[in-house]
Amino acid sequence: MRYSKILLMLVWICCADVSSALGQKIVVGSKFDAEGRILGEVIAQLLESRGFQVERRLALGATLICFQALINGDIDVYPEYSGTIEQAILKLSQRATIDELRRQLQQQYRLEFLAPFGFNNTYAIVVRKTDAERLGLKSISDLNKAPTLRYGFSNEFLKRLDGWPGLAALYGLTAIPNGIEHGLIYKAISEHSLDVIDVYSTDANIQRYDLAILSDDKHFFPDYLAAPLVRAEMDSRAKQELNELAGALSETDMIALNAAATIDKKDFADSAREFLQRRKLLASNEKPAAQNHWTILLQRTFTHLKLTALALLLAMALAIPAGILVYRLPKFSRPVLYLSGLLQTIPSIALLAFMIPFFGIGTTPAILALFLYALLPILRNTAAALFSVDPLLKKVSVGMGLTNWQRLLHIELPLAAPTIFAGIKTAAVINIGTATLAAFIGAGGLGEPIVTGLALNDSRLILEGAIPAALLALLVEFGFESLEKLLIPKHLLQKSAE
Amino acid sequence: MSAITFGHVFKSYRDSDYALHDIHLDFAENVTTAIVGTSGSGKSTLLQLINGLERPSRGKIFVFGAEIDYTKLPALRRRLGYAVQGTGLFPHLTVAENIALLAVMEKWEPPRIKMRTEELMQLAGLPLDFSSRYPYQLSGGQQQRVGLCRAMMLNPKIFLLDEAFGALDPITRSEIHEEFLHLQKIEPRTIVMVTHDLKEALKLAQQIVILNKGRIEQMGNGEQLLENPASKFVSNFFNHNWGHESTTMNCTPIDHKGAKPRS
Repeated sequence: MRYSKILLMLVWICCADVSSALGQKIVVGSKFDAEGRILGEVIAQLLESRGFQVERRLALGATLICFQALINGDIDVYPEYSGTIEQAILKLSQRATIDELRRQLQQQYRLEFLAPFGFNNTYAIVVRKTDAERLGLKSISDLNKAPTLRYGFSNEFLKRLDGWPGLAALYGLTAIPNGIEHGLIYKAISEHSLDVIDVYSTDANIQRYDLAILSDDKHFFPDYLAAPLVRAEMDSRAKQELNELAGALSETDMIALNAAATIDKKDFADSAREFLQRRKLLASNEKPAAQNHWTILLQRTFTHLKLTALALLLAMALAIPAGILVYRLPKFSRPVLYLSGLLQTIPSIALLAFMIPFFGIGTTPAILALFLYALLPILRNTAAALFSVDPLLKKVSVGMGLTNWQRLLHIELPLAAPTIFAGIKTAAVINIGTATLAAFIGAGGLGEPIVTGLALNDSRLILEGAIPAALLALLVEFGFESLEKLLIPKHLLQKSAE
Repeated sequence: MSAITFGHVFKSYRDSDYALHDIHLDFAENVTTAIVGTSGSGKSTLLQLINGLERPSRGKIFVFGAEIDYTKLPALRRRLGYAVQGTGLFPHLTVAENIALLAVMEKWEPPRIKMRTEELMQLAGLPLDFSSRYPYQLSGGQQQRVGLCRAMMLNPKIFLLDEAFGALDPITRSEIHEEFLHLQKIEPRTIVMVTHDLKEALKLAQQIVILNKGRIEQMGNGEQLLENPASKFVSNFFNHNWGHESTTMNCTPIDHKGAKPRS
């Protein structure tokens, strides 16, 4: 049959993906924010230029997803911060030195934290450069010299113990700060409605708004030194190569790279390559292979469709029989419908994250998550449609001598078909939308530009993924409607539309 | 020889009185029996006990000389033609597919199915080009004929008709009645029909069973019932049914030993 060929093809494509990931090469991951992406590219390009075969799994959501992927062996390396390792990964209650972190990472997870790139991306207190010069402000202690300044902090920083309360106590600051949404804080300081704000120390906006970092002279903020976090069994030559990056990136360098990405919308790979060339870590004649815009879009669309279609087929294979079971054995209907309803209420990004410890990152967990989301609409419609078949027709089909199977196959399922079909259609359209989130766990698809766009606050990039995804959803809906007209007699459709 | 036998059959539902009370009854072979009664008298329940859609609470039912085996109902049901009010045609199947459904389940050869379907359509006065139409494209009378053809497909010796002519207009109903009598004459079968229409019962059936609140009030041929009503209920039932129906229909007795209505 035609459909089985398509199915086989899809399965084959999936297997091909999986087998290529098993090959002997270095898989580089990163978080989805701009800084993570740039550092990921720096690592990937450096390794490539030293002859390693590299696969990029960049923009993998946040810390949890990257770390799980590393533990699972889905990736071999990603850039991480010492402070994050201390707080979020090892969950230490006390400050630890880098060597202490390394010891525990090695012991608990067989991971290595290589030499830091040099910059420290921690909390920082900044003032306008003009004020810094006028008032002679160089460190946080100096703030005591200028008591009239107005303070405004992000709400998180205001509340955290390692934020304002601790800072004020250590430095003896008495000002009463305002809480303000972080997105508005730069506008506020540039318009002179605030004078002292909190930022991350490599934030591109420090350069953009001409701000000065006050040094943390009493060493209150924890270090967030970035370095490649790698699996201990990674090729030791690769580790040596990566250690060449030690100290290569100062705060100023990182701010400039972040600014190039978020403000000038420069490609991450280009920024990373130019930086490596400036540091003579990369030959200056190396050029990236130019990729056609349309080819990329086509590849993403294809990946997107592949994820959705496989998840949908799997969901149909389980949900339609389950719907029949619920109809035939109504005592199961409550638990089954309840369970599939519960699955539906798990936020998609959380569900994707849950998958990682069991299935790693990439295509498999994405398909599984989409599969779980597609279950409910199909299951519910199947059961509801079977329950609502005209009781007279059920009675007649029994009374004339059809067996249970014959009744199901020849009478009940065909009569329920329009509603079941509608459930499949709903599931397909939901899946096209949800599949954009699959990019967070490295499954690719039309979510890729959306994830990048979110990191860069770049609506053009977001639309580059969102518009094709929306069009695809419409196209799928249209496709299903045509298929429906082809497969189901018209008068039955009209009846079900009533 | 009786085709169907009820031996002291009781039927009760949870939390209610008996829907049927001590039904002891023979349905003679090749005779048409009408079961009449007010709504709620249990007449449909009685019919559905024959094809196993209902099970007796007490008592035994014999069909074709054997007690009903409830583990082999589909096989029994295929030997019993079954037609209901509102036709019960399957909307997703064409006329021919509706008629042939059971033969397809029995895995008949396609040519045999086609031959039998066309034979039945001709017998019921349905044009052959209706074969590929869907039920909704047919009039009520045509649908009813398709329903009867479907019940006849496997040539069953017993027919169960549950208000099968109930939804038809008087003229169409009268036409179908004539065809029914014609068929019974050339190829007699055992027929059990449930109806609330006494005139229909008198016209088509040789034996009439009057049910009242789950009990057999009286049974016999039309004449016996009319001449000697066993109870006030029976005579009231006759008078009432006679009273408000339009009487333009031809209800005079038919060529068998039937009933002669008072007019």
